[in-house]
Amino acid sequence: MLSVLIWVPVLGAVIIGFWPDLMSASRARFLALAFASSLIVLTVVLLSQFDLNHAGMQFSELIPWIDTLGLSYSLGVDGLSLPLLALTAILTWIAIYSSGESVARPRLYYALILLVNAGVIGGFVAQNLLLFLMFYEVELIPFYLLIAIWGGTSKRGDAAMKFLIYTAVSGILILAAFLGLTWLSGSSTFEYKSIITAGLPLITQLILLTMLLVGFGIKIPLVPLHTWLPDAYVEASPPVAILLGGILAKLGTYGLIRFGLGLFPETWALVAPGLAILGAISAVYGALAAIAQKDIKRMVAYSSIGHMGYVLLGAAAATEISLIGAVAQMVAHGLILAILFHLVGVIETKVGTRELDVLNGLMSPIRGLPLTSALLVLGGMASAGIPGMAGFVAEILVLQGSYSVFPLPTLVCVVCTGLTAVYFIILLNRTCFGKLDNSKAYYTRVKWSEQVPALVLAAVIFFLGIQPTWLVRWSETTVAAIVATVQVNSQQFFTLIPQPLLPSREKGRKRKKSDSYSPLPIWERGWG
Amino acid sequence: MAHFLVQTIWLVPCYALIGAILSIAWVPGIIRRTGPRPSAYLSSLMTLLAFLHGLVALWASWNQPPQQLLFHWLSVANLELSFPVEISSVTIGATVLVTGINLLAQIYAIGYMEMDWGWARFYALLALFEAGMCALVLCNSLFFSYVILEILTLGTYLLVGLWFSQSLVVTGARDAFLTKRVGDLLLLMGVLALYPIAGTWNFTELAQWASSANVDPTLMALVGLALLAGPMGKCAQFPLHLWLDEAMEGPIPSTILRNSVVVATGAWVLIKLQPILALSPVVMAMIVFVGAVTAVGASLIAIAQIDVKRALSYSVSAYMGLVFIAVGTGHSDSALLLVLTHAVAISLLVMSIGAIVWNNITQDVTQMGGLWSRRPISGLAFLVGAAGLLAFPPLGSFWALLKLADGLWESRSWLVGVLVLVNALTAFSLSRVFCLIFGNQTKQMTVRSPEVHWPMILPMMVSLGFTLHLPLVLKSLSLLPEWTAGNKGVGIVLICSTIVGCSTASIIYLGGMVHKPVQLVWKPLQDFFAYDLYTPELYRLTIVFGVGLVSGIIAFVDRYLVDGLVKLVGNTFIVGGQRLRYSNSGQSQFYALTILCGIGVLGMMLGWPFLSHLSLSYAP
Repeated sequence: MLSVLIWVPVLGAVIIGFWPDLMSASRARFLALAFASSLIVLTVVLLSQFDLNHAGMQFSELIPWIDTLGLSYSLGVDGLSLPLLALTAILTWIAIYSSGESVARPRLYYALILLVNAGVIGGFVAQNLLLFLMFYEVELIPFYLLIAIWGGTSKRGDAAMKFLIYTAVSGILILAAFLGLTWLSGSSTFEYKSIITAGLPLITQLILLTMLLVGFGIKIPLVPLHTWLPDAYVEASPPVAILLGGILAKLGTYGLIRFGLGLFPETWALVAPGLAILGAISAVYGALAAIAQKDIKRMVAYSSIGHMGYVLLGAAAATEISLIGAVAQMVAHGLILAILFHLVGVIETKVGTRELDVLNGLMSPIRGLPLTSALLVLGGMASAGIPGMAGFVAEILVLQGSYSVFPLPTLVCVVCTGLTAVYFIILLNRTCFGKLDNSKAYYTRVKWSEQVPALVLAAVIFFLGIQPTWLVRWSETTVAAIVATVQVNSQQFFTLIPQPLLPSREKGRKRKKSDSYSPLPIWERGWG
Repeated sequence: MAHFLVQTIWLVPCYALIGAILSIAWVPGIIRRTGPRPSAYLSSLMTLLAFLHGLVALWASWNQPPQQLLFHWLSVANLELSFPVEISSVTIGATVLVTGINLLAQIYAIGYMEMDWGWARFYALLALFEAGMCALVLCNSLFFSYVILEILTLGTYLLVGLWFSQSLVVTGARDAFLTKRVGDLLLLMGVLALYPIAGTWNFTELAQWASSANVDPTLMALVGLALLAGPMGKCAQFPLHLWLDEAMEGPIPSTILRNSVVVATGAWVLIKLQPILALSPVVMAMIVFVGAVTAVGASLIAIAQIDVKRALSYSVSAYMGLVFIAVGTGHSDSALLLVLTHAVAISLLVMSIGAIVWNNITQDVTQMGGLWSRRPISGLAFLVGAAGLLAFPPLGSFWALLKLADGLWESRSWLVGVLVLVNALTAFSLSRVFCLIFGNQTKQMTVRSPEVHWPMILPMMVSLGFTLHLPLVLKSLSLLPEWTAGNKGVGIVLICSTIVGCSTASIIYLGGMVHKPVQLVWKPLQDFFAYDLYTPELYRLTIVFGVGLVSGIIAFVDRYLVDGLVKLVGNTFIVGGQRLRYSNSGQSQFYALTILCGIGVLGMMLGWPFLSHLSLSYAP
């Protein structure tokens, strides 16, 4: 099943890429869409077959490959990766659909997009560290080409190179960490399950974990490792930016939770406070930098840095709710970023500029882009965490889950949702509101077919916001299992919480409460 | 049947929501053949349905014990989020008030927005507000109250920004959104912080918990202040009052709704939160302080406004300040009564001035005058609205103010002084507006001013009738305070303050003794009030400037320092590579030597264990 998910896009890439005749752009797009649609169908089947009560890996596949290296073709999916698989399937479809009818060199373009898709899916399902790394690295070249060939301005080459170098460094760090991890822990293979860090000295664990954190931190990206992001996102064409921000960055956050938290449950507590602060800093930094931008695409790119801060906070807190929230935030952010990038792309093609100072009054019903503007308002507000949309659910879970562990960074993140609103208001006020200059407003109409991706995404965002169960149900069991393994130094925990919240005579009641709901993390429950 | 309607009271917000969704079909570009008007009829019909439903349910639920319904929303890990619907006569009564006023506002808008094209959007947003407010009053959970308030904040942004091509509207919408959002986010902080302490978000359970809770006073004060910020933002209290004034850039029909019931959402949440806030005396003192400052400050500002809508909006802030005082001193009943009488009266006032503004083009009271003979109906509506808002027996607010003053008299008599002062100032302000618009000679802008058409007059008359009958309605529901000997003195003082306020304004603005336009002796003081205590400037100089500066610095750092460092490293490698390029001589002997050396070093390294072993054995 999982192999099919990986190899169908590869097959598609091969067919489209090596099509004997010249293929018209629309036919290549149609073929690619067919493959992407079949992926969505497969994912739906996967979702329906998934056992929600099983914490471990499902649909596992294991084919020995190179035993001497410890490399095997080992796949599996659990609650952590399943939502991301679904996200990947949707966003790939959206990216291909929104690519437009007239892409230059269509065969290469669609082949590369499908390859990227295969690689990301592989990354999410790989259960062997080396296999994961292979999928992780396989992304680089297609993305490099996608940015460098189909990018926007003359700076696209630089941006692509920057992306390549950064991500390669990230890969090297992760490789080093994986090698060290496997060899030092005395494991004979790189199988995820067989690696146990418990016996390692603390300092070794810390070094390895730090390498992993920096490696994945580049991919996520975290401040100050983020400088590849604005350039890459802005230079990439909108569909590629959707893939970059919506899917690829999620490999980083996924890796952080899967390998950072999953493999170092004991050491996580040591780095968690730092990570939480880093998350808060990322959120503040991304939001404030976005406020100062003059280019709407760059603004959206910086907003992405800010939103990744919440994921980091949720992962650092490592309570059940915050981790579920972190997974939900990955999905919600992917969807919201995709709708924003798509709409920005539409505005750029129709109006011909992305400059805030030039854009004006696009909400105007006759000569503006009213539906696009309305959807942009929706996307911006979803990103700012207005309830009723997916972003809110994710943020509230992250914030509520993290508050009891890291109150201060959580409150800083709440402030950041306010700052998010500030820059989206700036964006919307300048772009959609205001007076349209009638002498210049001769825009080509936005066809309904061009609105389809945004409408689909808006529907999904609304659906997940109103029925959030569909967003969080997948990861509950798995996250509970992960959290159960995390050991946190409880003394440190007590210094972080304002102490006696309930008096001693309330003790019995408190204990009763904590059965039904414990805002305290799982390690605290053992105490009571 | 009636019982069924009580049980299904949760349908009331759904009607409005359906109306909102259906209205969207008439935005430009979807349904063209009919024009946008059907959206208004449809939306009003749904509101009528909601109103009738609520009315029957109110009748059926009177004197019945409250019930709870639970709608499941999300359960994740151990966090259960359910939407508790509280069915009691108070909550149903509140939905009736909301739907009733919204019904009037929607009919009014059919007349007022006659020439507008944005009907579908407007009616969809009005319906969204109605849905949100009905859901808010029915909802018995702090978390969902926050959720609804946040959605309404977005609604405010879109509703104020209805005429988005005007620059003042755009800034008004922005300020309204951001100010309310600040309140919402502080509320969110409080909501997040409250859960670990109290273990619930259900208002009823919170009240139970608060009755026996023993919490750290500092923590509770902080949580309480955060929780307070939400209602402060919604009720337009200092220092978050700016948005209500800016929101006056929106169309007047939405102002009817906003000034009467939307601001009251904050008061509603505050009343619900009162048991928790009462855990901290600091917070209670803060509520009274904020309320008193706003009440007095806003009524003074209202007097200095020349824009008639703004003059009214500051009076709204002032009355919400009184509600804050009531809640802060533990008189939630008086607070609810005042919210009700205020909502009814202010909606009538706004309708009246809307009718004036509609065909006089201007909102500037100094340019108007002499309309009493031409616009008797609007004038009458204004008078009744003003009487309903002030302590003017036997109309509604008199009883509410009397009840509050009576309650305050024992414990904090200085607050009665605030009450009397605010009443006098508001009386002065409303009389001033009335005299300037309806009194004196006609001016250029008011020469041609016939009475408006029926869609605006009809809701105005209904509202007028209801304002006049409100005391009877309250009496039949036995909600009026007793007129006893104990509170007679307070009542007379209140009445006197009304008379003093009205007569002073009449003497100044109708009589010929004072030169027009009226100037205070000291001009800076007048400007101080006219420009809203310079709050917009204050914000611009502090918060807006600060955020702008910091974000500019961060963007600079990001572009030139962080990214610059990366570029520096990159360039170093490039330059280094180019330099090294020239160190290659191209002679094969040199390459051979290099290879030899390399192999030698490699051999040494690989053979080191062996070599070291050798050296060890030869050592002795």
